[in-house]
Amino acid sequence: MNKLVKLFITSISAITLALVSFTSSFAKVDGEYIVLGSAISLTGKYSSNGVHTQNGYNMAVDRINKMGGVKVGGKSYKFEIIYYDDESNPKRAAQLAERLIKQDGVHYMLGPYSSGLTKAIAPVTEKYKIPMVEANGASRSLFTKGYKYLFAVLSPANQYLEVAIDLAVEKNGGKPVRIAQAFEQDAFSQDVRLGILDAAKRTGSEIIIDDKLPKELNDMAATLAKVKATKPDVLVVSGHTKGALTAIRQISEMKVDVPMLAMTHCDAAKLSKQHGKNSEYALCASQWHKNLSYKDKFFGGGKKYDKDFKKEFGYAPPYQSAESSAALLVFKDAFERANSFDRDKVRDALKDTDMQTFYGNIKFGPGGQNVAKPMILFQVRCKGDTCENKVVAPTKWASDKFYHPIPKWSERG
Amino acid sequence: MGKVKQKDLILYSGLIILGLAAPYLFSAFKVQLTYLCVLIVLAMTWNLQGGEMGYNSFGNILFYGLGMYLTASVQVGMFFPLAEWTESGGEKTFVHTTAQYFQGIGVGLLVAAIVPTIVAGAIGYAILGLRGHYFAICTLGLGIAAGEIAGGIEIIGAGQGFTTPPFPAEIVDPEARGQFFYFLSFLVLVLAFVFVKYIYGSRFRLILNAIRDNEDKAEAMGIQTMKYKIVGWMCSAFFCGLAGGIMGGLIGYIDSTDVAFDGREMGVFMVLMAILGGKGTLWGPIIGATLFHFFKEGLWTFILGWQYVALGVLIVVIVVYFPEGLMGWLREKYPDKFGEVIDEKDRKAQVELK
Repeated sequence: MNKLVKLFITSISAITLALVSFTSSFAKVDGEYIVLGSAISLTGKYSSNGVHTQNGYNMAVDRINKMGGVKVGGKSYKFEIIYYDDESNPKRAAQLAERLIKQDGVHYMLGPYSSGLTKAIAPVTEKYKIPMVEANGASRSLFTKGYKYLFAVLSPANQYLEVAIDLAVEKNGGKPVRIAQAFEQDAFSQDVRLGILDAAKRTGSEIIIDDKLPKELNDMAATLAKVKATKPDVLVVSGHTKGALTAIRQISEMKVDVPMLAMTHCDAAKLSKQHGKNSEYALCASQWHKNLSYKDKFFGGGKKYDKDFKKEFGYAPPYQSAESSAALLVFKDAFERANSFDRDKVRDALKDTDMQTFYGNIKFGPGGQNVAKPMILFQVRCKGDTCENKVVAPTKWASDKFYHPIPKWSERG
Repeated sequence: MGKVKQKDLILYSGLIILGLAAPYLFSAFKVQLTYLCVLIVLAMTWNLQGGEMGYNSFGNILFYGLGMYLTASVQVGMFFPLAEWTESGGEKTFVHTTAQYFQGIGVGLLVAAIVPTIVAGAIGYAILGLRGHYFAICTLGLGIAAGEIAGGIEIIGAGQGFTTPPFPAEIVDPEARGQFFYFLSFLVLVLAFVFVKYIYGSRFRLILNAIRDNEDKAEAMGIQTMKYKIVGWMCSAFFCGLAGGIMGGLIGYIDSTDVAFDGREMGVFMVLMAILGGKGTLWGPIIGATLFHFFKEGLWTFILGWQYVALGVLIVVIVVYFPEGLMGWLREKYPDKFGEVIDEKDRKAQVELK
């Protein structure tokens, strides 16, 4: 036993030494680089959206660095991001945030993908007073916690599909509608649900189906069977990318006829490409669309961003990428206005942000949410075999008229 | 208890000093160290079933998640209406004072230790009659079911998740939170170790071993196996509940299936760690958990995206090359260091017989 004890003690001291010498190496601003940290979902259930987010960040970093970088105190700095994989798990995300801040010495954070993970990271960044600009945590409850260092470039989740209900009521001659809804059990989708509940109350509409979908979402046949039997006026589905894909797949398989189908994450799921004509007429909430007329000097407008992104990554950018790119523009702007790397000065500069990017206007409300940019709705429309997302609301940007009601499957070619 | 040997005394006091000094020595690693303490507690108490009793339980995550939700609920519910706190993920802003926060978490942890213990007793009474694979599968179901049920209960946040009370803002030192949770988890670790060590010297362990080696024979010898199985599980539940409560406060956000009833990760990890170190030994789970944690923290970030593949390889390597874990492997190689005397004549005689 004696030898073992000795071995044990030796190895512990070796590890101790190694750790102590490892602790103090990195810095927030390293030479000419401003180091940002981000935990991102590269594996797990949010991996596809995690990659959209990462691509958005990388695209903006490249662009800003190429176009002269960030000018602070007369010197030009470049952005650099340290990424970790949070495995789509809040527990891991919180731990990694701690690690980025304490071990890697990161002083400025970019958000993860999804509301749940942002909820897990926000208490950590708040504790260490680290400014975080996030682009993918839309849950309303993030903005009612009184967080001072959290800034979101996107509109809160409860606004996603509220407009869709108003639209349905309008099409119904101003009379209340019957709503069927199914939401994944996660923070974001449940917030979308709250928005629908509010809208239903406001318009006096009735919710006849209110289902919860599991997190690893690949079957919602039970809900659809009920929809077939009860014939609601609107079907609302939200469950990130998998939710959108599952819904379209099963609706077309089961030939479910419903006058209006409202969803989220259609573009992230590349619905119009993956399901083509089967996805036609789906109404989708989006933070951004390439046809909007916003502009900035880095990416030009939405159409140019779309083109450049396609060239770089080989697919059309979903709004998750666009908003992530916008997060870096916000950071750059704040650094330059603060003209300092002092965290509190940067934080104050972020608070006073009021700018236009290709993604939309950005101005933060007291809770940290973006109050300057409305949500938009687009509808999948097909010409022959090519399908596209056409903006139908709000009217200011609408390129096409909203098609209602959805023709029955028996009448669709 | 007066039999603690001198070199053991040195070892233990050394470890305790190391444990107490750790958050100051590695200030940046406090959260990881807290995780380590919790992982060791989970592995060590899992070992009571899986290692000593021979009942491979995947259900200990149930007590862990239960402890987590209970601590947070009590901490909030003592001072504010719980339903309003969690409704739509906290529409209103409530703030705990410093005293409320610590009172809340104290009482919460107490509840988190007691309730899972009782639940373990009740469930154990119902399902500990199952043996082998049947027991394992049944407990696997328990964890999954608990996650789905918790995801549907509105008062604890349902699918929205439950944001636990933030650390009191009056304590301005940003290190304080990390230290508080570290020492809390270290305390639980020491308690768990003392308890398990005590069990290792008791008749209770022999009974658990008897159940593992031949339950029918143990029964035939007059041991009320059911009673001991239930008590064994309750012991684990007690510490799992505490561990869960601490983790809930540390993570700050409870999600029903990803954080609390996280059978896919924590539930599997506790089994893996115990097997890696060597189940059925006192130090095995501790060494296993430590190695596993270092492996995970050190290696995973370098193989972004492939970490689960690496984990799979690790599991295969453990199962194929170290089926008895590291301690078991050492024991086989250096039996005399473990106080085992080998009678060469007897060994040869057995070999010849075969």
